[in-house]
Amino acid sequence: MVAPGALRVVRCGGSALRGARAVFSADSKYLLYVSGDFVKVYSVNTEETLRLMGGHADLVTGIQLNPHNHMQLYSCSLDGTIKLWDFMDGIPIKTFTVGTKLLALYTLASAEDSVFAVIPKKDTFQLVSVTLTKGAGQDLEGKELSVVLDGVGASMKHIAFGREGAYVVSVKDVDLQVYFFKRKLLNRFSLSTTKTKGGDNRFSCVVCHPKEDCIATGHADGKIRLWRNFHDKKEYTYSTLHWHHDIVMDLAFSIEGTRLLSGGVESVLVQWHNESSCQKDFLPRLGSPIEYISMSSDGDLCCTLHTDNRISIINSNLRFSRSIQGLIKSRDVKTGLVVDPRTKALVLNGEPGHLQFYSLQSDQQLFSLDIVQRQYIHQAGLKQSDLVKVAFSAQGTWLATVEESEEVTDPELQLKLWFYNEEIQSFELNTRINTPHDNHITDMCFRDMDELGDDSLILVTTGRDCVFKVWVMVEDTDPEGDVSWSCDFVGSYHNYQATNCCFSEDGSLLAVSFEETVTVWDSLTWDLKCTFCHPPGNIRNICFGRLTCSKYIIGATDYGFLCCWNLLTCALEWSAQLNVVVLQPDPLSEYIAAISWLSKESSLFVFKPNEPLPVYIQRNLCKDKILLAAFVPRDEPEITSSEKYPWLRKSQLFFLTDTQELMTLSTKSLEERLTPSSKQLAVEESLPVTPFSLLLGKHRHQQAQEDTDLGKLVVHNKQKQASPAVKELLHTPAHVLPSASFLCTIFINSLLISKEKKSAEEVADEVEMESEKAEDDSDEEDITAMEQEDTSHMELLGEMTCKLSKSQEKELRKIRKMDYSWISAL
Amino acid sequence: MGEFEVHRVRFFGLVPAGVRCLACHPRGSRLALARTDGAVEVYNFAANYFQEKVIPGHELRTVESLCWAAGDRLFGAGLSGDITEYDLSGLSAARGVDGGGGPIWSMVANSTGTQLAIGCEDGSVKIFQVVPGGIQFERNLDRRKGRVLCLSWHPSDTHIVAGSIDFFRVIDVTSGQTVQRIMVNHHVEKAKRECVVWAISLLSSGTVVSADSFGRVQFWDWEQGTLAESHTVSTSAALSLAVSEKEDSIIVGTSTGATYQLQLLPVTLGGQEKRWVRTKPFQFHSHDVRAVAHSPTALISGGLDAQLVIRPLMEKIQKKSYDAALRKFTFPHRRLVSCARKARLLLFQFSQYLELWRLGSTEETGKDGEVLPLCQMPEHLVQLKSKGPEHIYCSCVSPCGTWVGYSTASRFHLYRVHCDGDGVSLRKVPKVPKLLPPAYQLQFSADSDSLFVASARGSVHVFQLLEPGGCKHLHTLRPPSGCSEAVYLLAPSADGHWLAAVSGDWVSAVVPSVHCPLLQHHCTVPTYNCAVSALAIHPSTNNLVIAYSDQQLLEFSIPEKQYTSWSRAVQSRGLHRAWLERDSPITHITFNPKNPSHILLHDTYLLCVLDKSLPLPDDSTLLMNQSTLKQLPETARKRQLHAFKICKKFQPLLFMDLLDENCLVVVERPIMDFKTQLPLPVQQKKFGT
Repeated sequence: MVAPGALRVVRCGGSALRGARAVFSADSKYLLYVSGDFVKVYSVNTEETLRLMGGHADLVTGIQLNPHNHMQLYSCSLDGTIKLWDFMDGIPIKTFTVGTKLLALYTLASAEDSVFAVIPKKDTFQLVSVTLTKGAGQDLEGKELSVVLDGVGASMKHIAFGREGAYVVSVKDVDLQVYFFKRKLLNRFSLSTTKTKGGDNRFSCVVCHPKEDCIATGHADGKIRLWRNFHDKKEYTYSTLHWHHDIVMDLAFSIEGTRLLSGGVESVLVQWHNESSCQKDFLPRLGSPIEYISMSSDGDLCCTLHTDNRISIINSNLRFSRSIQGLIKSRDVKTGLVVDPRTKALVLNGEPGHLQFYSLQSDQQLFSLDIVQRQYIHQAGLKQSDLVKVAFSAQGTWLATVEESEEVTDPELQLKLWFYNEEIQSFELNTRINTPHDNHITDMCFRDMDELGDDSLILVTTGRDCVFKVWVMVEDTDPEGDVSWSCDFVGSYHNYQATNCCFSEDGSLLAVSFEETVTVWDSLTWDLKCTFCHPPGNIRNICFGRLTCSKYIIGATDYGFLCCWNLLTCALEWSAQLNVVVLQPDPLSEYIAAISWLSKESSLFVFKPNEPLPVYIQRNLCKDKILLAAFVPRDEPEITSSEKYPWLRKSQLFFLTDTQELMTLSTKSLEERLTPSSKQLAVEESLPVTPFSLLLGKHRHQQAQEDTDLGKLVVHNKQKQASPAVKELLHTPAHVLPSASFLCTIFINSLLISKEKKSAEEVADEVEMESEKAEDDSDEEDITAMEQEDTSHMELLGEMTCKLSKSQEKELRKIRKMDYSWISAL
Repeated sequence: MGEFEVHRVRFFGLVPAGVRCLACHPRGSRLALARTDGAVEVYNFAANYFQEKVIPGHELRTVESLCWAAGDRLFGAGLSGDITEYDLSGLSAARGVDGGGGPIWSMVANSTGTQLAIGCEDGSVKIFQVVPGGIQFERNLDRRKGRVLCLSWHPSDTHIVAGSIDFFRVIDVTSGQTVQRIMVNHHVEKAKRECVVWAISLLSSGTVVSADSFGRVQFWDWEQGTLAESHTVSTSAALSLAVSEKEDSIIVGTSTGATYQLQLLPVTLGGQEKRWVRTKPFQFHSHDVRAVAHSPTALISGGLDAQLVIRPLMEKIQKKSYDAALRKFTFPHRRLVSCARKARLLLFQFSQYLELWRLGSTEETGKDGEVLPLCQMPEHLVQLKSKGPEHIYCSCVSPCGTWVGYSTASRFHLYRVHCDGDGVSLRKVPKVPKLLPPAYQLQFSADSDSLFVASARGSVHVFQLLEPGGCKHLHTLRPPSGCSEAVYLLAPSADGHWLAAVSGDWVSAVVPSVHCPLLQHHCTVPTYNCAVSALAIHPSTNNLVIAYSDQQLLEFSIPEKQYTSWSRAVQSRGLHRAWLERDSPITHITFNPKNPSHILLHDTYLLCVLDKSLPLPDDSTLLMNQSTLKQLPETARKRQLHAFKICKKFQPLLFMDLLDENCLVVVERPIMDFKTQLPLPVQQKKFGT
């Protein structure tokens, strides 16, 4: 496509957070974690994602704080580079190219100019020390590798560095290796491989005690072993702690080493005191299996990363504090992507048995609705009930859900109807129907009719028991006059399994597909109007055209055909050979998106039913298989892309891959897409209260007060004028600031506005601009990025100041004189 | 291997008594064990942990504590209030001295073994001096209220620490005064339950280690009276505790049957600071572990489930041999069953009574592995209760099934069995010659007309049995040179010409038997450095087959007075490694008259037919190859055959004998059957139940 406005596939949520352990900044105010190819900075206090650090070309596999500068962060990635970041500003400082895949990263305070990384070597992996060359440029080579340990595990959990970096421990299968750096001694210990009494000795993770020579290892059967005396091949010993019933996913020692935290699939964080098996505390019901545990350096907080991409932050007294949750990864998205008409949130399976409402704008979970309302028990082979279908009514007042147990034959089905209660701002269960169908429910839809009111609300379900059922609301007989739902009509067609259903836009027609046939029914009389068929192959998806194309019905078949039938002529309008996986109409326009999966690539086709030629084709949309897609209506129609991509004007297309990453199509570049909040500098909130800041605050405050009577514009003007220099001074990280003597003049200059202005008074209209420019010139060697920002907002300012007449300006200057004398008095 | 009709006997209702206390010999070569029925056993570490000596119990003599003192002297004390010395060569309890403080709960010897301290019910701690021929009361130490449950000497013998209920105290031995009294649950809030200090130990550093009923192992500085460390090892009581000689390892036994090891480990590698860390837990027992011991290379624990478990410490063992194997002993290393081959009777020996059973019979035949229906059920003929409080030492039934004899510590009884139709009557043989008691082993000759009684000092008495019911002392056979140890095994030959006897100092003496007019000592088998666990004389060749506790097998030709060529071949070649690494000794040897080259042997876990005509296996072949042989074709099977044909079908096997050429009787005691007879263990929540 054309270069400038080309559509880009952008990841917007659901990226696995599971690449590496999260890291707390030295002051525990920020949490840094890996999300796909990015490193995210999250403020622990405000629960907001502050910054997204992108730059790696593949998954980030490890992050570690620079032990020599706590404001810097090392990250490594599968793309073979190690990057050093200034995470407060999100600036990449250096990039070291190693050349091979990097699977884990470790830093040591004692290692001056090297870090440790895990690299693949043939079928095994090895731990190497990477020397980070000290060069001037940004891109450096990091190819000086020296092997420390061979045959290590690929995961970062399989290696740990001991007290003061004296030794390194690696675990793999049933073997434990300890390498002592000083003595160059390698000890190996093996556990037995036999699985007696349900035991399974394979190692799953390892950590080292921070103060003592003690290694804690987690095992596949839920045991934790604490190894001591491991410098002696014979006299080594270990004790065992056992609570977990399944694999121990991660361990973490507290800062003093008196407490040990462990977590696993039970979703329970266990705290062991003094290595005793009798004293332990639990934090249960964390929602999903724990994948990583990390501790803050002051020991105040710990955080757990979960398999469903959630992060929980936990206090030192083992109290749940807060959680970061984006798109929760569920085991299987059976519900599809549904848009909640009320909140415009994306609705899909969340935690087991829950429905998650995911806000696309803030990349946060709005809330989670417990549908199944049963305690989820983690146990292999246990049949759980899960949510399989969801449908919203047009206004979002009604929600229909279907849950079924995992049994293949004779599933336990429940259809639930929920009414949105304005008072409690949540859905309330209205009707529960047990066994609505005798077999799996395949599809469900509401009749979307806004104008006809509640009476027209109809729910249709189709099932593998060869019928479709129509459910309507009936008034209850009890005095309260509540409504409940009951079955109104049961339709079938030649005893074929009903697979899909869909209402036409005006609600007058219902299309139900029965295996190979599409049947169209009158929704008033429930008469079968006509049938369509395109053998061979069962119908996979059907949908009606919208707006101008509402006379068409589109169907996709198993054998790779996309057909469009005309309802007026009852004839096939056109058909195309395409293996359609997803067929998604835009609710606000006549466009329909079809996503195909062919020879390991997904392609997107957007078409109008009345034109057999697609309006947009993008091949090789992404590497992963796309399972689901949804058009999400925009709050306001987008203007910029409307000429080129009319189909993106009213709605935005989101799609979900089989790895449960949410993607979208965007015309904007990456920088534009980032929300302003992420650009905001983090220093503001962390600024300590100093006499200087108080003084500055007072100064600003009083200045504002004095200026109020002069009208808003002036206040605006002045503040904007003074702020860039001051802001620059305060917000630029200390290590990139020029010397204080140099800054002083700028700062004073920024305050000495009035006199300078006088001289510049006679010049032209753009006085303000000029004085600004003078400042900028003096700053030139400083930061160019800053300059851009400044000028951009000066442009805006310029427009406004132009409106002032010269006499008005003169008056302002006089007032500024007074102002200056006040400052000198201070 | 040969096919046999097997009588699989499971009606021997033996319930071994629980282990009450253990005492390791200071030099670490022997272990003394006392059971709850008062029996005392001595295990020899060097001889593959063989149960070398057994002193049967006594109803009135419970043993609460055992200790070695003054070299090899063993003392026991119990709730009867007496301190008893055990005569290990005469296998009897000797000389009881009243402690004078009511029931004795604990007794310990000092480091040199010259003094014994006892802790009594009345709260007193008394010191006795060990003198030749007995003990002598020396002095009373400070008496406080509350029974003294456990005691420990300081290695320098200056102080004694005594544990009671809720507190323990440290007593200065020279002044006899209590210098420190420490409440063990002082810091526990709302400690309503009393806290029993079950075991205590005073380390040379001045640290007191206590194990209490709250499941804690606590380390105290006795001079300051402060708690240094506390380890809650169990939710139930910690009952016993033992410290290694180096004081760097502790074993703790708990009432849930679990034992724990605590080790003194450096906090940082190579650092000076050390800390006690709970390391390995072991769950070998189902019931209370009342006694633990710490030998230099192993953790030893004994529980109320009658098990003695020896768990070697791998890191202390230099080379991997059979020392490195975990051993569990539940059943005694000697026979408690005797069999009347011709009459098909079995005599079971319990601690205070005997049971005589007639085996069932069948008329049907079947294929290998089939269970045949019985036409006549096994029959419990008679139960013979021994009189008095003493327990039975040994018993025997004659091959014809008409004589039954048993012996207690003080008396020897002989009975005549009359089987007339359904009724069975026992008649005591009057005027049994008075012997110097006790008898350690009884054996009837093959033709049932004489009885051999093994006795103290290496002597064997020979009785002639007279019809209809009488007996006469014929001879006393004595070893040529003086022998102090008692004879504990006898083996008469089938033709009645020879008798082999084994005495405690490990000499197998062979003496010609009754019918031989000379009745003199014939020869002595060369001394071997392990105890004999079983022996038998071959009926046709008169070769003596001896099984030693280190699993060696020797064959000695009595007429030629030398080892047979097969035996020499075995010795030069060595036995299979898997055979040598078994942990229970051979307890019975018998022969198959149909096939003279076959020797039948058994221990607790296997039954073996040793075919001397086949080549011996080497270490590379599989020892237990019966199941693989079955799958091979005939020709290949021939090549794979070796001398050891092992069957592990019957477990645990207490007795096996050949009734006739193709009929075998095995006596099993399934562990589950006997576990159900034990009291219920401590209730524990098990995950998933």
